[in-house]
Amino acid sequence: MLTDAEMLRYSRHLLLEDVGELGQKSLKNGKVLIIGMGGLGSPAAMYLAAAGVGSLVIADFDFLEVSNLQRQIGYTTADIGVDKVRLMKDRLTQINPEIRVRNINREMDKEQLLMELMMVNLVLDCTDNMASRQMINVACVEAKVALIVGAAIRLEGQLMFFDHSQTDAACYHCLFPTDEEQTLNCSNSGVLGPVVGTIGTIQALEAIKHLTGLPSGIKNKLKLFDGKTLEWQTFAINQDPHCSVCGNK
Amino acid sequence: MKITVNENLVQLDEQCNIEQLLIVLESPLKGSAIAVNQKIISRSEWGNYQLKENDKVSLFQAIAGG
Repeated sequence: MLTDAEMLRYSRHLLLEDVGELGQKSLKNGKVLIIGMGGLGSPAAMYLAAAGVGSLVIADFDFLEVSNLQRQIGYTTADIGVDKVRLMKDRLTQINPEIRVRNINREMDKEQLLMELMMVNLVLDCTDNMASRQMINVACVEAKVALIVGAAIRLEGQLMFFDHSQTDAACYHCLFPTDEEQTLNCSNSGVLGPVVGTIGTIQALEAIKHLTGLPSGIKNKLKLFDGKTLEWQTFAINQDPHCSVCGNK
Repeated sequence: MKITVNENLVQLDEQCNIEQLLIVLESPLKGSAIAVNQKIISRSEWGNYQLKENDKVSLFQAIAGG
């Protein structure tokens, strides 16, 4: 049951045929791990908190820097030097005191990540480097936990959804079988705030749809966003039978 | 044989697989992803995947930023 306070807070969800009271209860029971509290993770976490996702686990080990503030809109200038997950936990609790937020302020190895995955329904990869992305993918494949991957640099975004609870799921490694750190990131290429914010926001949208049982149009697909033309391209990703991560399942 | 790569016309020899295309384009093999007609072709298939007339190839790089 939703409380009277929750009925009021989520009244705009309850009006939606696609969410309603049942969907709101599903959100309340939802447990989501968001890894990375930067330009993707901060809007994603704020939208999921506002939407009433009952349990959020947020992970990051960075301290807020002045150069983050151009895009990481959950933070303020007064926050510089403080660890991001502590700031974001406060922010999320201010937005919605009805939810539980736990923070992880250290770099996780694969074993720690696998422990965390036992306690969640969904992971959002909002990280900023290839090594983390590959490790998160391996752990989600092993633990059979759904993974929504976002990335952005310059005026370009990438979005993928691999539902590892399904046997036909492709994986991040099928698409990008590389550990090379020569890949592009925000600190070597720059990024516009609304571009990374758009991708993080859509990660939150897909998370809400997944938790409420709405079908996703992007499972096993890669979406590329062009911030200059506002065009999206969509590519199908099939499971690579030779993939060293998911190929033998 | 004519194909397009990221909407630019490219003229190729009759037999050309994706690995050969990337060499022609002088594009790095690592960190790249390739789609032909909106379908991603896995890295492990690049050496066997023969391109055909009018194929629409999309070539892009992994991005890691966030």
